[in-house]
Amino acid sequence: MKGHMGKILRLDLTNLNTKEINTSEYEEFVGGHGLGSAIFFDAVKDKTISAFHPDNVITMMTSPLCGTLAPATGRIELNGISPQPYPTEWYSRSNFGGRFSAMLKYAGYDGIVIEGKADKPTWINIVNEDVEFKDAESLWGLDAWETQEEIWTDVSGNSTSVDEREWYQTERGRDEGRTTQKPAVATIGAAGENKTRSGAIIHDAGNGAGNAAFGSVWGSKNLKAISVLGTKSVEVANPSALLKSREWAEDNYNNQESDPKPNWGSGVGAFGGVPGAEGFGNIAEEQVRPQGCVSCHRCTRKRTESGHGNESGCVDFLFYDVHDEQKHGGPTKETAKAGDLSQRYGINVYFLEEGINYLKHLHERGILGEGKEIEASLPWDELGNASFAKELIYKVSNKEGIGEDLAMGLPRAAKKWGRLEQDLNSGLLGLQYWGYPQHYDARTEVEWGYGSILGERDINEHDFNWVVYWQVSLAKLFGRNPPVKAEKLAKIIKDKTIPYNAVPNYSNEGIYSKNMAKLVAWHRHYTRFWKQSLQYCDWAYADFLNPYGPETRGITPEGETRFFNAVTGKDISFKEGMEIGRKIWNLDRSIWALQGRHRDQEEFAGYTYDVASWGPEISPHANYEVPYYMPVKEDGEWKYKNVASRSLDKEKFNEWKTKFYELEGWNTETGRPKRETLENLGLGKVADELEQKNKIE
Amino acid sequence: MVNRRDFLKGIAGGAGAAVAGFALGSLTDTIEKAEGRSFEEIKTMVETPPSEAYLLVDREKCAGCRSCMLACSLAHEGKENLSLSRIQVFEDPLAGFPDDLVQEQCRQCQYPECVAACPTGALSVDEVNGNVRLVDEEKCIGCQRCIEACDQINNPARAAWNHEDEYSLKCDLCIDTPHWEENGGPDGKQACVEICPVNAIKTTDQIPVQIGQKGYKVNLRGKNWEKLGFPSE
Ligand code: SF4
Ligand code: SF4
Ligand code: SF4
Repeated sequence: MKGHMGKILRLDLTNLNTKEINTSEYEEFVGGHGLGSAIFFDAVKDKTISAFHPDNVITMMTSPLCGTLAPATGRIELNGISPQPYPTEWYSRSNFGGRFSAMLKYAGYDGIVIEGKADKPTWINIVNEDVEFKDAESLWGLDAWETQEEIWTDVSGNSTSVDEREWYQTERGRDEGRTTQKPAVATIGAAGENKTRSGAIIHDAGNGAGNAAFGSVWGSKNLKAISVLGTKSVEVANPSALLKSREWAEDNYNNQESDPKPNWGSGVGAFGGVPGAEGFGNIAEEQVRPQGCVSCHRCTRKRTESGHGNESGCVDFLFYDVHDEQKHGGPTKETAKAGDLSQRYGINVYFLEEGINYLKHLHERGILGEGKEIEASLPWDELGNASFAKELIYKVSNKEGIGEDLAMGLPRAAKKWGRLEQDLNSGLLGLQYWGYPQHYDARTEVEWGYGSILGERDINEHDFNWVVYWQVSLAKLFGRNPPVKAEKLAKIIKDKTIPYNAVPNYSNEGIYSKNMAKLVAWHRHYTRFWKQSLQYCDWAYADFLNPYGPETRGITPEGETRFFNAVTGKDISFKEGMEIGRKIWNLDRSIWALQGRHRDQEEFAGYTYDVASWGPEISPHANYEVPYYMPVKEDGEWKYKNVASRSLDKEKFNEWKTKFYELEGWNTETGRPKRETLENLGLGKVADELEQKNKIE
Repeated sequence: MVNRRDFLKGIAGGAGAAVAGFALGSLTDTIEKAEGRSFEEIKTMVETPPSEAYLLVDREKCAGCRSCMLACSLAHEGKENLSLSRIQVFEDPLAGFPDDLVQEQCRQCQYPECVAACPTGALSVDEVNGNVRLVDEEKCIGCQRCIEACDQINNPARAAWNHEDEYSLKCDLCIDTPHWEENGGPDGKQACVEICPVNAIKTTDQIPVQIGQKGYKVNLRGKNWEKLGFPSE
């Protein structure tokens, strides 16, 4: 397939050697997550091993689109068994943006498979086909930024300053190519090195794969960093069609500097969002620029004058700014500095976000503190200053004091303290699905919660979230009208969610309906292929509503298909892509079945059923939630309604699960894929393994 | 040796109407450059008519997305490769704004060292296409003198080596873009300009001040940019 480099690099850390896989062997899975799951399935014979077992494999996969002009495709997908979920360490996923994905392709590879365990700290230097295992003794203990600076100068022997940098020629000479680019380095900090359950993989200043703790798996494998530098070309099937479609997208769907649309709240989401919208920087009155990953058309992050908060965005700040604002009466640089610390130590910010809130609740109740039931010495007077974040991050990353328990992650720490069940039932500890912090609330924005519990982690997919929740709720919060009426939104979503044509009805009945099953199925299949396999970024896709689009309609599904076909030379329809997504989703589902997944486990934390969701004020829990105004259809009428103060009915949710399993062709007793379903998807081999392990009925 | 009269003749003859944009300082600049050269070399340089268009960039506006580089490589070579782009974006993700990033484009120099250095005439001034300094790929013998010459004055070099097809490449303002349907060149469109999502690149027909960076690194930010929360000054 055009767009592929043709090779996947296998790194065997145990034996310090490399092998290659021909990408064409797995071509049906196309890229990213699909490739990762298919390779993982073959490479890991016993799927029940723990995340830190040397036989666990981490895949890092690009797509045919990475490194091309297809807009916002600068990401790389990671897969493997994750130490983070609770109670089972599910096979999981994560991804990060920046330059790494493109650079890996320019080096000649569609992906990397990391296998085994090195017996001492190691880093990997990839310069085109030269792959070297290098001693990382001197890098171990350096933070993620220091490590990258060391490697940048080590590899290309060149100043890091942009005004002094030169063309660099590889050792093979002029005909190997030259580059002005720094090597792209992915690395871990102390949180990963010390095998906490919150270690992230960091690249450049602020790209991180955090919410699956794969950085800790790297740590367990003694892998400190991977550096890539490449000068090869990505072949494109139809260059002029790609350029033309990019211009079409810029002209019709991207934000226009000359025509800002502040009332859309389009700062937040999707294809036409404004540059820099995700970053924090200038809130603290610093001069900034917007910053984007390779090929991005919307460049949603920032770099700042002081360098604090460079490339950090969203929860990298939100985990701390609420404490900063409480202490200082408004956001200050302390938030940006706390964000920097999370990048340097390579620690999952979702853990910090819920962790700080939970510790604070326990502290305020006199349960946690010096000489208290849970012994903990933390500088509470400093909460809101970066020094508090530093102390906490340091302790967790180095497993010191209270950090020793917290390094196990929040669910396992709370369990050790004997508090898990009670705090999940009361909601004091807001871990809603698989021990993951409640990101958006399963009680109100159900597709987020349902997708997470049917999957393996907080989905972190904002496809519906921008338009059914944020755009509406922000408008209500600021006393504006939402950009389009609920009926129109529902119609656009129905038209665009090919081929299931889902209706976004978040009413008390709608959330348990077959329609909601269709919506969630569309979401699972769409993200598994179009986003997680092709690496279309979550900040740009899916694009349902767009302030610049024709009749405010977004670029989905035309855009995704058009760019893909231009690069690969294929002529697939959007629906065909959805089928590949369904296949990958069923493959994942089979891996979870092999890990012991059963429908009975697919239950939310107790508070989801027993406690009404917060509203109408801003949630005291997740640091960013505002009241949930969502589209509902009641008595035949579409409208936006505040659906806060709702809890889920456990029985109705379980009936809904049955509807969902039926729709997917899964056994309704166990929730596992049926043989027939797998065979129809070309996954007969997977069905055989399930049968062998007694996981198919 | 070159005398003052030859210089002025070259400037007057070559620069024509565009001379208004030509900075006084350029003369000193040229005298410096003249040292150690043969008369013929200098004559070629000073008689070179100026390009009818120039790329300008705003390093404080650029978002580092490399889309310009991808567009340049794609439009000319039909494939994606940052090393084959005629515009280069240098970044230090850890540095503070604006020292974290700079775009380096070809300056279509008034006195193009690359043209002077080329021994075969492969790199010449295309008088049919607005005097763009252009490489004829067929004639290029791969000596790379143009790259070295440009590197001497414009470090890092704006001319680059196409290691896959083995010829020098430099910005042609998109005259020769077999993989792009638009008409390029000084009077047409440029792929990088069209694709840049934040409008951090544009062209001008006025000759930029030749000494230093100021003429080419300009402010393309305005009120709307400020409304998005970014500095316009
Ligand atoms: S390649 Fe270099 S010397 Fe030639 S015109 Fe461009 S900037 Fe000037
Ligand atoms: S004007 Fe054309 S040739 Fe010059 S840098 Fe831009 S895209 Fe490349
Ligand atoms: S396309 Fe524009 S914003 Fe992106 S790197 Fe090039 S000049 Fe900068």
